[in-house]
Amino acid sequence: MVGDWIQVVTGSLFWEYRSILVRGLIINFYVFFLAGVLAVGMGLVACLARLSPLRALRWCGTFYAELFRNTPEYVLLVWVHFVPPLVLTLLLHTRINFSPLFSAVVALGLASSGYFTETFRAGILSIPRGHIEAARSTGLSGVLTFRWVILPQAIRKMLPESLNQFISLLKSTTLVSLISVPDLMYQVSMITQEQMRPMPLYSGAAIVYFVIILSLAALVRRFSESWRAVGRA
Amino acid sequence: MRMLQRIIWNNRGEFLEGLLVTGQISLIAIAVAMAVGLVICLIRMYCRPLRCLAILYIEFCRSTPIYVQLMWVNYVWPELFGWPQSFFAAGWTALALQSSGYLAETFRSGIEGVVRGQREAALSTGLSPYLTMRWVILPQAVLMMTPSLMNQFLVVVKSSCLVSVIAVPDLMYRGLRLTSIWFEPIEILSFTAFLYVAIVFAISAAIKWYSDRVRSRYA
Repeated sequence: MVGDWIQVVTGSLFWEYRSILVRGLIINFYVFFLAGVLAVGMGLVACLARLSPLRALRWCGTFYAELFRNTPEYVLLVWVHFVPPLVLTLLLHTRINFSPLFSAVVALGLASSGYFTETFRAGILSIPRGHIEAARSTGLSGVLTFRWVILPQAIRKMLPESLNQFISLLKSTTLVSLISVPDLMYQVSMITQEQMRPMPLYSGAAIVYFVIILSLAALVRRFSESWRAVGRA
Repeated sequence: MRMLQRIIWNNRGEFLEGLLVTGQISLIAIAVAMAVGLVICLIRMYCRPLRCLAILYIEFCRSTPIYVQLMWVNYVWPELFGWPQSFFAAGWTALALQSSGYLAETFRSGIEGVVRGQREAALSTGLSPYLTMRWVILPQAVLMMTPSLMNQFLVVVKSSCLVSVIAVPDLMYRGLRLTSIWFEPIEILSFTAFLYVAIVFAISAAIKWYSDRVRSRYA
């Protein structure tokens, strides 16, 4: 047991497998990046739908946001990985499989796009109506008002919240190992099966994630504080 | 329709039991998390020498992914501490671990959110520190904290589906097992997902209703 503790501290087992583990971590960030792009894109679309003057579109946007905000990530991940390929296979009469990476990106992207929808909406709604009316009455078109009056203010308002969303997205990328995307947790469980020594590896993985996410969160906190200070000045 | 009846309705017992386990594990986890979170919060606020440790604990709980914590608790804790010995215990321990960090911060912001002057006024009218806490600070803090507490419960319910990974027979586990028995993922997995969405949606609607009511009554 003392030996195990020493291994946790010195990380020798971690060091032995460093190349595999680093590759796993890179996959984590790769999934994070792709899912983040999808989430922001879909979040923007759904947010615009929620703010549109058409009631049907508004309703669709709300339904979309509520649906994906309320589904657990893991459930969504498994569902996306198994159900849509089968439905497509039945419909198109050709065999369709989603690669684990594809399912992971789609599921995590959709799951966090629900949150992004709400963040974006809150940011845009926080702009006082008077600014929009003033911009319109000076002769700016709808698009120009959006581009030069609403967007610069809204981005400042929603940036801290969005960065937090990105951090929770990064945290949920650990789930993709469950559909055998070879990320860090997947590699750890593979090596554990080979070595039969869960303690140093799982503790090491926990520490690695802890350090990465804590430092990113600290960065976000500092960044958004200075950003807010700029906004006030 | 026949298909739905054969697969979903005839297996309703499985789904119900799964729901029961999900509810059980979530309730245990949130109760433990509240107790631990309160202790950690008090240590962080009032116990100088241990403050660093409390902050480290809170930050660790908040910035490690729940799945990593689950694996860590499940595989490493039995070796380190000789506990937990069952998957069920490992499941609620991991869920509680994660939430206790968040709840400690919730409690702290709730207590600190009560205006300073109130505390000073209560103390200067001769209430003891305990009575001040009990009759002046806590009633207001609880009122303010309840929405985020309920929100944390929502998070626990949402992440509780992960305990199926370590073979706790919750709703997700039953769904996956039925899928592998019947091999009808379309119906079974969709129904499982639907159940989760319905539960989580109901809880979040309740939170919204409650916090709107509190806001309209007291603010």
